[in-house]
Amino acid sequence: MYTSTGFISFLFRRISGVALVLYLFTHMWVIGSVNAGPEAFDARLALVQTPFFKVLEIALLAAVVYHAVDGIRLLVVHHFDVTEYRKSLFYAMFAVFVLLTIAGGLPILLFALEG
Amino acid sequence: MTQNGTTRTATIRVQRFNPDVDAKPTLREYQVQVSPDTTVLDALETIKATQDGSLTYRRSCRHAICGSCAMNVNGKNTLVCNKPLREVLDRKGRATIRPLPYLPIIKDLVVDRSQFWEQYLRVKPWLIPPADVPEAEFRMTPAEVAALRDAEKCIMCGACYSSCQVVALRQAYVGPHALLKMYLRVLDPRDSAPEERLVEIGGDDGVYRCHTIFNCIDACPKELNPTAAIETLRKLAQKRAAFARERAERQQTLAMPAPVAPGAEMPADIEG
Repeated sequence: MYTSTGFISFLFRRISGVALVLYLFTHMWVIGSVNAGPEAFDARLALVQTPFFKVLEIALLAAVVYHAVDGIRLLVVHHFDVTEYRKSLFYAMFAVFVLLTIAGGLPILLFALEG
Repeated sequence: MTQNGTTRTATIRVQRFNPDVDAKPTLREYQVQVSPDTTVLDALETIKATQDGSLTYRRSCRHAICGSCAMNVNGKNTLVCNKPLREVLDRKGRATIRPLPYLPIIKDLVVDRSQFWEQYLRVKPWLIPPADVPEAEFRMTPAEVAALRDAEKCIMCGACYSSCQVVALRQAYVGPHALLKMYLRVLDPRDSAPEERLVEIGGDDGVYRCHTIFNCIDACPKELNPTAAIETLRKLAQKRAAFARERAERQQTLAMPAPVAPGAEMPADIEG
């Protein structure tokens, strides 16, 4: 296995991409129940209002933020001659990812703890 | 690591594998004396000469130009002939040498590079000159030469190719070594087949398969930049017809004296 910052970003980008596709199916499963009426929708929505799913929501946020920020980093690499700064770009991207995930994940966590 | 004046003893862990005998590769430890100018290849030579004659590896020129001795040292691909051993020893005086990753092992540190050469030939790495070759030489501008980004310095060692995870996942991928050579030919104003070349590498297993992991840059012992070459080829592949027209126009003037850049005038005594 040849490890590097580039490989780590590639691996996380792949994992987060697959996770987002899987989430999309779950999302359609919940939202699609609205066709069966408001009671069916409320019942299905209640299934995902558990602490376990709150933690998954933070993971979902992390996946979205990582995939988006890493995508922006790749766009910068594709359109500007910045390969010399590849490691700095990765670390900057990762810092933004961590900050945004904490900023967004903390309210979700606090909301979940309040019940 | 024990120290005695300028000489130390280092522990070299070498991956051994004999396909006729072994089920899987194993690491074997050897102790070697290290002086300030010992290279990793020197250590391997010492092991082979004094401790284990069956150790198998490739090496030839010992001047970092033949590309034979690319190996994986402490997880990073490098040429062992010009890599000082002290640079790769950890605090306990240990270093680990493995063959290039993602390629079939023939024996010990020797890998099968057939796939590497097949992909290289796929891009027709030779120059395809125009039909009307001038009697005198082709005249390129300094800017055109500079644009090639030293790509001609590639020594085909395979360090970039075997560090690429895309190659590991998909053997049909043409690889950074071949794309760097393709870049050299496509950007060369003397080449008359840029459109065909860009069609070839604009397909499924060409430039768009690269995931911009950058391992090829980090691994290159000649400090070349295959990723930047791939990015340029991506842009050119999208406008290949216009690029080919520009090339055809440029070749009309190739036999003429090139415009001289300011400050790049030839000294009078060597001008023709």
